[in-house]
Amino acid sequence: MRSLREIISSKPFIGWILFAATLIVVFLLGLLASSIIERRTEAVFAYKPQVDYPDTEPRNVIWGKNFPREYESYTRTSDTLFRSKYNGSAFIDMLEVDPRMVVLWAGYSFSKEYNQARGHYYAVTDIRNILRTGAPSATTPGPQPNTCWACKSPDVPRLMKDMGPANFYKGGWESKGPEIVNPIGCADCHDAATMNLRISRPALAEAFQRTGREITAVTHQEMRSLVCAQCHVEYYFDKKKIENVQYLTFPWDKGMTADDIEKYYDTYEFSDWTHAISKAPMLKAQHPDYEVYLTGVHAKRGVACADCHMPYKSEGGQKYTDHHIQSPLNNIANSCQVCHREETTDLITDVYERQDKIIENRDKLEVLLVRAHMEAGKAWEKGATGNQMKSILSLIRQAQWRWDFASAGHGNSIHAPVEISRIIAAGIDRSQEARVKLARLLASLGYTDEVPYPDIDTKAKAQALIGLDMQQLNQEKAKFLKTAVPEWQKEAQKREKGWDEKTQP
Amino acid sequence: MSRLIQKFLPPERWKVPVLITAGILVGILAFLFHISRASSYLSDKPETCTNCHIMAPQYATWSHSSHREETDCNSCHVPHNNFLNKYYFKAKDGLRHATIFTLRAEPQVIFIKEAGQKVVQKNCIRCHEHLMTDSRMMVFSEMNQRERESRQCWECHQETPHGRVNSLSSVPYARVPLPESPVPEWMKTKN
Repeated sequence: MRSLREIISSKPFIGWILFAATLIVVFLLGLLASSIIERRTEAVFAYKPQVDYPDTEPRNVIWGKNFPREYESYTRTSDTLFRSKYNGSAFIDMLEVDPRMVVLWAGYSFSKEYNQARGHYYAVTDIRNILRTGAPSATTPGPQPNTCWACKSPDVPRLMKDMGPANFYKGGWESKGPEIVNPIGCADCHDAATMNLRISRPALAEAFQRTGREITAVTHQEMRSLVCAQCHVEYYFDKKKIENVQYLTFPWDKGMTADDIEKYYDTYEFSDWTHAISKAPMLKAQHPDYEVYLTGVHAKRGVACADCHMPYKSEGGQKYTDHHIQSPLNNIANSCQVCHREETTDLITDVYERQDKIIENRDKLEVLLVRAHMEAGKAWEKGATGNQMKSILSLIRQAQWRWDFASAGHGNSIHAPVEISRIIAAGIDRSQEARVKLARLLASLGYTDEVPYPDIDTKAKAQALIGLDMQQLNQEKAKFLKTAVPEWQKEAQKREKGWDEKTQP
Repeated sequence: MSRLIQKFLPPERWKVPVLITAGILVGILAFLFHISRASSYLSDKPETCTNCHIMAPQYATWSHSSHREETDCNSCHVPHNNFLNKYYFKAKDGLRHATIFTLRAEPQVIFIKEAGQKVVQKNCIRCHEHLMTDSRMMVFSEMNQRERESRQCWECHQETPHGRVNSLSSVPYARVPLPESPVPEWMKTKN
């Protein structure tokens, strides 16, 4: 038996065969290696985001490139076709529906315009359009501070990151008009790197801190409500905290019920405005949605806002969270019926029944409040003194706070029907007590007739009663929308053009 | 033995080129071993299964199920009756998977094969035995034993633990530990 060495030296072609065989083996192994590399690379690139952006990216459409389904469902918040019995996604002039509100808010900007809110998509448009924000120009400053922008746009966390919350709130709202153009969207609730839910607004974190809680130490399920609670809460502008700054603050230090919050405001002798007719120091409730929800049975069972307002949906074999944030009444199948195995019509009837019953009493309270304001006005007219009026005005303040707390929230009567009924009942009690005292006071001043109920069948009549020049307000607003707003848009477009989309596929 | 080796030794003057050639061959084999993460296949870690990215939906659904707390992929998908059978089945199944993945022959929706079903069924019983052999049930229902022995658990428990939707594109944003680029950092960041 000869060695391979000897075989090759006598027959060199065998050496060549060996060479070729090795070559083929190495070649094939190379192919296999490159196939493995290729398939591994797929893992790196197949799930790679289309674009990279930081938390401060305010343009929802950019986030939408990576998350097309979520983005597309979000854009459906532009839909205004759904009308439920009382609310929905449509634009509704609430002062026209219920002109009593004009009288209740006499002396306060809410009497100028108050609407059923449209979807998040319109957040920036609607704050510009509404009469409450006035018609600021180079010569006349706007009536509202920058604090009003706090909940309207993902441009807000972008600006706050640079200047801090206090500097952000400072100044008239028109000063940030060109900066804030993107409606509520992705960056308001999401972290760009992980897409985890995040708290982008300081007011909620600060309120947590003051009440001894830590906003970072909450569960994911709690976050699915807390991101909403950044805005859908009762709040006020603290003018004492920092000079010249109306600092956005949640009044939760003594608790989160209507009574606790009232106690908080009373301690600081805080009032939003003085009523034009009764001169009562009034409080305005601002959609205390989260606080009311907490007192209801759904919260007790651990149901989060997103469970009903952003339920899961399935599309093309993919399950994802529906970002069309809306009334569950427009999506019973994916929201209510996940837990309640009842007929759709039955479920809707259940909601309407609660709304009907609560509205029945709320309307009674409204009439009583209108009467109380008119009677207080009459008492002043007849020469009542501040001392005589003090306890009466305090009762009117308490009664209307309860009315507003119950009315201003979205969906209060289904979030916590029992609590809302209790609050309205307390309001009725206090307004009647005020009226009994007023009757005695008026009699002692020599007035024993009934103070006539004003003719406020329509919004126009009610606004005329409290002396609003609506024609002028509307004209100023139209001019502002035609001149100032396009300039803001132009400036914003120029700024956003300058930001490059860092990575393109 | 040394004579056998002698036979394959190259002529003296070819020694250097042959050494280099053999080195290339062994080197490529080592490279293959490295980039295919071959050693990871000896472990029970679920991350091994996502060496192939098409297993991402299976990983994501398992990691959102209660089975995540107690099981890994191998707990259910390889036999546990004896050590040899475990690795024999793992090698058989794994090589088939690797072949199909390399040939790009994977279907859009992956279904378990019969051999795998038998293994999974046995593994359901392995842990949940006490749930299935309730002697009271056997007394009350004459169907009990027959049903228990003839049917598979997931005829009813369809969503345990992977859910119903398992196509390759069903979980586009799930956080799955997929293999990252094998190129070391120092090579990428030099510029």
